[in-house]
Amino acid sequence: MSRSRVAWVALPAALALTLSACGGGGGGTTSSGNENPDGTVSIYGTEPENQLLPAATTEAGGSKIVDALYSRLVGYKAEDGSTYNLMAESITTSDAKVYDIKIKSGWTFHDGTPVKAKNFVDAWNYGAYAKNAQQAGTFFAPIAGYSDVHPDDEKAEPTKDKMSGLEVVSDTEFKVTLSAPNSVFKTMIGYTPFSPLPDSFFADPKAFEAKPIGNGPMKFVSRTPNALIKLERFDDYKGEDKVHFKTLDVKIYSSQETAYQDLVAGKLDFMEALPPSAKVGEKYKADLGDQVLNANLLGQSAIAFPLYVPAFQNVKLRQAVSMALNREQITKTVLAGSYVPADGFVPPGIEGYEKGVCGEFCTYNPEKAKQLLQESGFTGKLTIQSNQDGGRKEPLEAACNSIKQALGIECEFVGATNFGAYRQIVNGKQLTGMGRSDWSADYPSIENFLNPLYRTGGSSNDSNYSNAEVDKILKEADATADSAAAIKKYQEAHKLIAKDLPSIPTWNEKGIGARSKNLLAAKLTFTRDAELAAFRVKG
Amino acid sequence: MSDPGSVSGGTGLEASAAAGVDQLSHVDDSSQKQKKPRSLWSDAWGELRRKPTFIISLVIIAVIVLMAIWPTLFTSVDPRAANLDKSLQPPSGDAWFGYDLQGYDVYARAMHGARASLLVGIFATVLTVLIGSIIGIFAGYAKTWIDSVLSRFADIFAGIPFVLGAIVILTTLNAPTENPSVTRIITQVVLSIAVLSWPVAMRIMRSATLVAKQQDYVKAARGLGASPLRIVIRHLLPNTVAPVLVYATIALGAFIGAEATLAFLGIGLRPPVVSWGVMISESRDYFQSAPHMLLFPAGFVTITVLAFVMLGDAVRDALDPKSR
Repeated sequence: MSRSRVAWVALPAALALTLSACGGGGGGTTSSGNENPDGTVSIYGTEPENQLLPAATTEAGGSKIVDALYSRLVGYKAEDGSTYNLMAESITTSDAKVYDIKIKSGWTFHDGTPVKAKNFVDAWNYGAYAKNAQQAGTFFAPIAGYSDVHPDDEKAEPTKDKMSGLEVVSDTEFKVTLSAPNSVFKTMIGYTPFSPLPDSFFADPKAFEAKPIGNGPMKFVSRTPNALIKLERFDDYKGEDKVHFKTLDVKIYSSQETAYQDLVAGKLDFMEALPPSAKVGEKYKADLGDQVLNANLLGQSAIAFPLYVPAFQNVKLRQAVSMALNREQITKTVLAGSYVPADGFVPPGIEGYEKGVCGEFCTYNPEKAKQLLQESGFTGKLTIQSNQDGGRKEPLEAACNSIKQALGIECEFVGATNFGAYRQIVNGKQLTGMGRSDWSADYPSIENFLNPLYRTGGSSNDSNYSNAEVDKILKEADATADSAAAIKKYQEAHKLIAKDLPSIPTWNEKGIGARSKNLLAAKLTFTRDAELAAFRVKG
Repeated sequence: MSDPGSVSGGTGLEASAAAGVDQLSHVDDSSQKQKKPRSLWSDAWGELRRKPTFIISLVIIAVIVLMAIWPTLFTSVDPRAANLDKSLQPPSGDAWFGYDLQGYDVYARAMHGARASLLVGIFATVLTVLIGSIIGIFAGYAKTWIDSVLSRFADIFAGIPFVLGAIVILTTLNAPTENPSVTRIITQVVLSIAVLSWPVAMRIMRSATLVAKQQDYVKAARGLGASPLRIVIRHLLPNTVAPVLVYATIALGAFIGAEATLAFLGIGLRPPVVSWGVMISESRDYFQSAPHMLLFPAGFVTITVLAFVMLGDAVRDALDPKSR
């Protein structure tokens, strides 16, 4: 993944940018009653920013639609984001570098044309080609030949329009060669830019944009800008994630508050996130009762110690600060229960997550913290830096107060005006104290919580952390073709990082959405989306 | 939130300032005939003592000033001591104003917040009045072309909407990545208020000077060969300072409101400084679930502004002989 796609959470809503996949997450709710298999479901939406093409849209409003219109090679499982073959018959590799992908036959696009291997290769080449200026173009970066079609320098002309790493073998088989071994490529191809495109798109892109044709569970019916996007069930759909209703109305709202009122009144059926005003004092629980939906998300909040500040090179100080943080209390009060305390560097709900990796160092223990602080010999003032907008200030100010009380030293929250300004400080390695380091993963893999953050020179290694042992294990894990074995390696690295504590895990966001009374069941996914296949409409 | 540009002083004061100065000489003349000569100021004092609004506003201001100087007289609680167990708790016997999101005692913070709010108000007023008066009296006394230049110069500043001007100044002075120190940010807030408000004081001073300049005793002094400096200090200033003082009193209240406005927008004072404006800005997202977080600091701002405006009104009435 390139830097531009690294999804640092600026606002809670930004989490929704990262992924939009057909997968399931944590909780769903069901209530008894007769089901209407041809019912209509209306969901909360925002006006898509770009055309409804797989690689053109990365923001939440558009990817919601694109996700329903197209199906990819793999889907994500509800419980832990692990993958299952959706359109793929098999994906095999021996070295995590060359992947042999066979696709299921018999699938068709909404216009009746069969889905062939060539449709994937063409769509991926289209997405990666710099001149097509697709938002998600950088997602194709791991594929060999990417730099030829999409040079790093924005002004440079691409020398080719096809990636050398993609090769069509037959109608149902193609080969992907990566530029370096990457064991999580199988997970990445579940993301929307890796969708296939029908031949009709390449024949007339303009007409296609007006009426997109995909291979997903829903087909496009109509679109009224800033008001409504209507989709309908595609009856010839062959995938496992078939939907159990007929029409999907994506209602476009400009305000979450309005949508929330509609939801409570039964005029809207599903929202994947609730407005802040509903979360204060857990008002939504009183409003909605058992219609509330929860899910684990792909986010990990942490406070990084910039190791280029000499004081923080003392591991005892880092441990003391971590143990002085009353995560339980802060998540319950200041964060109004929309977060849960973190116990490691990987959030729960990710394949490979282990309970309590951070162990006692992430458990509130003021006595031990004080003792460690004395051993570290640190005196002076601590600061936590962050942007102060978007509700970032309150939990960190509370964190500082917790540290102050437990350790008896001064701690102050230092706010930058906005997210961009704050990231400028972090990227320029100009932190003078601890800094907020919240991460939102690009795809549901343990790898994405470790490589970019803790590898030497990682794109978002805010601590400037460098441990040769960790680097070595991560590299081995990347090159391990068998995903179970790769995850074992990543877990090993995770434990080493937890020992060094280059940043302290704080809390993980809980997805909170809601359904209306008109639905019997609904499910919120780990990507903060609706699981379309889980909707059941009341008869 | 108040906009000091709209302080009731403005043009009204300007007109009454001219009229007031015009009357001053007559008052002085007539007082000669009375048994005991009384100056404008002692007259005004006699008037004020009998005014309930004056007494009330003075008492309120005294309490707030005391709060600013010795907040510990009113509370023994540390305004920065957070207890998350008490987060958002409503007012109770232990904490009269309740607790805010971080578990800070709102009462303790309101007491300690008086200092920063009042400091900004006082410094901004002093600076506004100083700049305005000096330029105003100079413009009024000097020859016409200097007057025109200075007046047009003041019009430029008067034409900038206050909030917009302050946003531009404060965001330009502080790059978003910077974290300015407490003294620096207070200085900047004071300066930006003064820079945007001085034209009002200048106009009041100028019109008062224009009238006073025409008085016989000024002409006499000039005829006797007094230097301009002596004329300004000995003869003009004592007779023009009253309307400006009235404006200053009212403006002080308005500037405390302006501090709150800027803090609310996140460009004025900011934590860890405790001020009423900072408290209001911190509570905006929690109004529905914890209204006490917002209402108490907002109440303090309102009462303080009201007290200064009342005081200003009373002083203006007392100093304006026509109203007697």
